[in-house]
Amino acid sequence: MNDDELWEPEGEMPLSTGGLFIVNEGNFTYGNASLSFYDIEHKEVHHDIFYGINGLPLGDVAHSMAIRDSLGYVVINNSGRIYIIDVRTFEYVGKITGLTSPRYIHFVNDAKAYVTDLYARSIAIVNPQTYEIIGSIPVSNSNSSFFQHSTEQMLQYDKYVYTNCWSYDNQILIIDSEEDRVVDSIEVLKQPNSMVLDRHNSLWVLTDGGFQESPYGYETPGLLRIKAGTRHVEIIHRFEEREKPSELKINGTGDTLYFINNHIFRYMVENASAPELIISSPYSGLAPGGYYALEVDPVTSHLYVADAIDHLQRGNIYRFNSTGEPVDTFSAGITPGAFSFNPDTP
Amino acid sequence: MGSALLAQGITDSLIHIEGVEIVSSRIFIKEQAGIRQTYVDTSVIQNKMSVSLSDLLSENTSVFIKNHGRGALATASFRGTAASHTQVSWNGININSPMAGMVDFSMIPVYIIDKLQLNHGSASIADRSGGIGGSIHMNNEVNWNEKEVFNYVQGVGSYQTLDEFVQFTLGNKKIISKTRMYHNYSKNDYTYINRGIGNIDPVTGEVNNPLDTNSNAEYTRWGLLQELYYRPRANHLLSLKYWGQSADRTIPRPTSYEGPDNSNLNSQQDIDHKVVADWKYYSSYGRVMLRSGYSDKQLDYSQMNRVPGLGLIPAIYSESKQKSLFNTLSYASDLGGDFSVEGVLDVNTHFVSSKDSVSHTGYENQRSEISLFGALRKGFADRVNVNLMLRQDWIDGERVPFIPFLGMDFRLMKEVDLILKGSIARNYHHPSLNDLYWQPGGNPDLLPEDGFSVELGLAYQQKFSDQLFKTEVTVYRTDINNWIVWIPSYQGYWEPRNIQRVLSKGLEYSVQLMGNLSKLQYKLSGSYAYTSAINYGDPLIWSDASDGKQLVYIPEHSGNMLANLSLGAFYFSYQFNGYSERYTTSSNDVTSRDWLYPYFMNDVAIGKHFKLKQLSFSTEFKVYNLFNESYHSILYRPMPGRNYYLTLVFKI
Repeated sequence: MNDDELWEPEGEMPLSTGGLFIVNEGNFTYGNASLSFYDIEHKEVHHDIFYGINGLPLGDVAHSMAIRDSLGYVVINNSGRIYIIDVRTFEYVGKITGLTSPRYIHFVNDAKAYVTDLYARSIAIVNPQTYEIIGSIPVSNSNSSFFQHSTEQMLQYDKYVYTNCWSYDNQILIIDSEEDRVVDSIEVLKQPNSMVLDRHNSLWVLTDGGFQESPYGYETPGLLRIKAGTRHVEIIHRFEEREKPSELKINGTGDTLYFINNHIFRYMVENASAPELIISSPYSGLAPGGYYALEVDPVTSHLYVADAIDHLQRGNIYRFNSTGEPVDTFSAGITPGAFSFNPDTP
Repeated sequence: MGSALLAQGITDSLIHIEGVEIVSSRIFIKEQAGIRQTYVDTSVIQNKMSVSLSDLLSENTSVFIKNHGRGALATASFRGTAASHTQVSWNGININSPMAGMVDFSMIPVYIIDKLQLNHGSASIADRSGGIGGSIHMNNEVNWNEKEVFNYVQGVGSYQTLDEFVQFTLGNKKIISKTRMYHNYSKNDYTYINRGIGNIDPVTGEVNNPLDTNSNAEYTRWGLLQELYYRPRANHLLSLKYWGQSADRTIPRPTSYEGPDNSNLNSQQDIDHKVVADWKYYSSYGRVMLRSGYSDKQLDYSQMNRVPGLGLIPAIYSESKQKSLFNTLSYASDLGGDFSVEGVLDVNTHFVSSKDSVSHTGYENQRSEISLFGALRKGFADRVNVNLMLRQDWIDGERVPFIPFLGMDFRLMKEVDLILKGSIARNYHHPSLNDLYWQPGGNPDLLPEDGFSVELGLAYQQKFSDQLFKTEVTVYRTDINNWIVWIPSYQGYWEPRNIQRVLSKGLEYSVQLMGNLSKLQYKLSGSYAYTSAINYGDPLIWSDASDGKQLVYIPEHSGNMLANLSLGAFYFSYQFNGYSERYTTSSNDVTSRDWLYPYFMNDVAIGKHFKLKQLSFSTEFKVYNLFNESYHSILYRPMPGRNYYLTLVFKI
C-alpha cells in the first residue's frame, strides 16, 4: 500500500490554556514516543498532541521537556535532537539537531542553554533562539575505567550549574556558566539519579546505589543535603539495602521533597526526621513495574504519579492533592516518564 | 531426529513423465502419527539459494518472521509463540543460542541447506524439548549418484548486492566430498521517505519528510560448508560436516536519529564454527546412530559515539562466546506386527561467557542437558496408527517435569489417503542462560515455561494420472503457563519473570497441486495460518488493558502462494505472501503513528536454461516487491521498495 494517508495531521486540538505536558518515552528503537497534554482545570487529557497537530511522530525515547517563554523544548534521546513546539498550539516550530544522546536542557539565558548527554562526554551549548549548537563543555573523565561522565539533570545556583552523573558514577559536576567550563565537582554516593534545590539553597541529591553485583560496586541508596554555596555534604540519610528510590521532586515553595521508593514519600526540608509515606503503591515490593515517574504542581502542590504498567501500552497518571487524597486518574502514552508544567497555568 | 532415521526406509512411488517426477509420498506413517510435519519443496530451496532462511520461511511456510530490516535480525514465531520456542537444528545439532535461546534466521543462507523440515507444535518433542511452537531442521544429504559436479552461481542485485556461490563434489561409490563456499555482500542502501524526521521548509513553513538512504546497513558474509560421506559397506554410513561463517554487519540507527553523523554507530560481528560427525549402522536388529557435534559462536556488538577531542569511543562493547558439545545415541527397530520402538539419549553441554568492556558487566556460566527419549509406535490393520513418545530431561542434574506425547492417525476410508490426525502433549521450555544469569536482571529463580497442547488435523492426497493434489488442515490449542517476559523491575533494570499465561489457538492450512499439462509443468502451493495468541497475564499484578489481547507482533492472518511454471527451457515463478496488521502495544491500541498495517508482497522471476555439450548454464531475472509497496515488519524500519536480482548459474 501507499501509506501517505497515514501521515496527515489529525486536525484541531483545543488551544492550551495552561496545564501539564506528559512526556511519554515510548519503547527504545520503536520510534513511538509521544506527548500528552492534561488540562488541569477541566481534568481533560489529550493524547498524541504533537503527532495529532503536526502529522509527525515525536521520535525515539522522549526523555524530558522544558518550557521557556511560549516554547516547549522536548529532548528526544535516541533521536539525537530537541523538537521545539509552541506550547499553546502544539505546533512544531523548529529543532536542535546534532546531539549525540541528549537528556535534559537548561536555559542559562536567552541566547544560551546547556544540553546534557549520556554518551557525548560533553555538554552541548546551544542557542535556544537560533536552534544552533554553539559550543561544548568537555566532561570526559579518562581516569576512570568506567564510561564517565554522563550528565543528567541540571540546577542553577548563582552562576553555577550543577549536574549529576548517574551511570556508573558518583559525581555532581559544577559548571561556571559564564566561562562554560567545569570548575569543581562534589563526590556523592553511587549513582545520583535526581536532585532539587530547596528554599535555603541546599541541594538535595537522591542516589540509587547501582545494582547488587555491579562491577562498579553497590552501596545502599541515600538522600544527601549539600550546601550549594560551600559544596559540602551536610546530611546523608541512608535507605535499606535493595530499596531503589528515584524521582526526587520539590514543591513550589521549596520546602517539601517528594520521591518514589516503591511508594510515594514526603520529606520536609526543615525537619530531620525520617521520610513519611503519603501514597501507598498498589504494587507489592516484589512485583515488577510500579510507579515510574513523579511530578509536583508548583502552584497547588498536587502530585502526579505515572504508572507505566507493562511499558507496552498507555500508562496511567494518578493525580493526588498535597495530602495524598486521589483527585483524578487518566491515561497518557507509552511509558510516561517526565512532566512539564506550562507556567501559564491559570 | 530419531523419527527421521526410521523414515529412511520409506519408499516413495514415482512416476516419471517427461523428466518430471510426480511423487506421492506416504502420508500414513505410524512414526508420524498425530503430528504435522512439512518439508519445504527442494525446488523452493533451489530457487531461493541466494536468500536467507528468514525470507524462505516467511514466504513459503506458516512461520512468521519478525524482520528488523533487509539483512538485519530476523526471528521466528511459530504458532504465535516466542522466538525461543522454535528449536532449530543443523544436521541434528541444535543451533539455538544457549544465551538468548533463539536463532537469527537472517544469518543462515538457504544455499547451505539440502533438506528443510518443519515439525509443527508438539511434533518437535520427537527432536528435543522446548519447541513449544515447533522445530525447524536444516539438513545436508548425500546423493551417491552425483559424483563429480562443479557449480558456480553469481547473483547481482539492487543496492549493490553481490552474491557468489561455488560448489564442487568429488567422489566415488564409497566416499563423497562436497564443498560449498559463499560470499554475500550488500551495501543495502535503499531509499525511503523518512517519516521519522520533519524538516520545516524555510520559505513555505511546511513540514516535509526527507528522502533518506538506509545507511549503516551493509552486511558481508563469508562461509564454507564441507561435507564428507563414507560408506564402507552398504549398512554403514559415516559422515563429517563442517560449517563455518563470518558475518559483519552494521545496524541502522533509528530512522528518526538526527545526532552527529559519526555517533550512535552500531555494528555486530558473528563468527561461527559448527562440526558434526555421524555414524549410522543398519542391521536386521535395528538402526543405530551415534552423533557428536561441536558449536562455537562468537558474537561481538558495539556502539560507538563521537566524543569531542577523543574521537570514536565505545558506549557498548560486548563480546560473547558460546561453546556447545552435543552427543546423541539412538536406536530404532521394527519389531514386526507393524510395531516399532525408538530410544534416544542426548548429552549436551554449553559454556557461555559474555562481557561488556565498557560497563564491565557480564557473566560466565555453563549448562548440562541430558535428555532421554523413548517412543512406541504401532499400526493397526492399515486403519489406525498410534504414536506414544516420552521424554525426560535433566538440566544441570535437576529433573525437568516429564514430557509425554500421544498421537493417533485414522485412515477414514480404506485405501484412500484421507487421514484424521490428533495429538495431546505437554512440553517444557527451559529459560535461556541470559534469562537466568544476565547482569543485571538475570533471574535464577525462573521456572520452565509449561505448554499443554492438543491438535486435530486432516490430511488428504490424491493422484490423478499425472497430477498430484495434497492438502492438510490442522487446528491446535496450546496453553502456555509461566511464559517468560522481560519487564522493568522496581530495581530499575529489566528482569525476566514467569508472569504470562498465553493461550495460542490457530489453524494451519496448506495445499499443493502439481503436474503436467502436455508440455507445461506446473507446481502450485499455498498456505494460510490463523493465529490467535492471547495474553491472559497475571491479574494480581496486571490489572491492565493487555489481558485478553493478541501478543505484540503476531499477525492473526498470514498466507502465501507460490506458482512455478516451466515450458521447455523457460520457467516462470510467482510468489505472494501477505500478513494482516500486527500490534505493537500489549493493549492492541492502534494509532496511525504506530500502526503496522497489513502488507502483501509479490515477487516474480523468469529464467531460462541453456545446454552446451558438458556445460549447462542458466539465467534468471527476479523482481522483488513488484508493486513497490511501502511496508514495515517492525515500527520505523522501512523495507525496500521494488528491487531486482539477476542470477547466473554455471554447471559442469
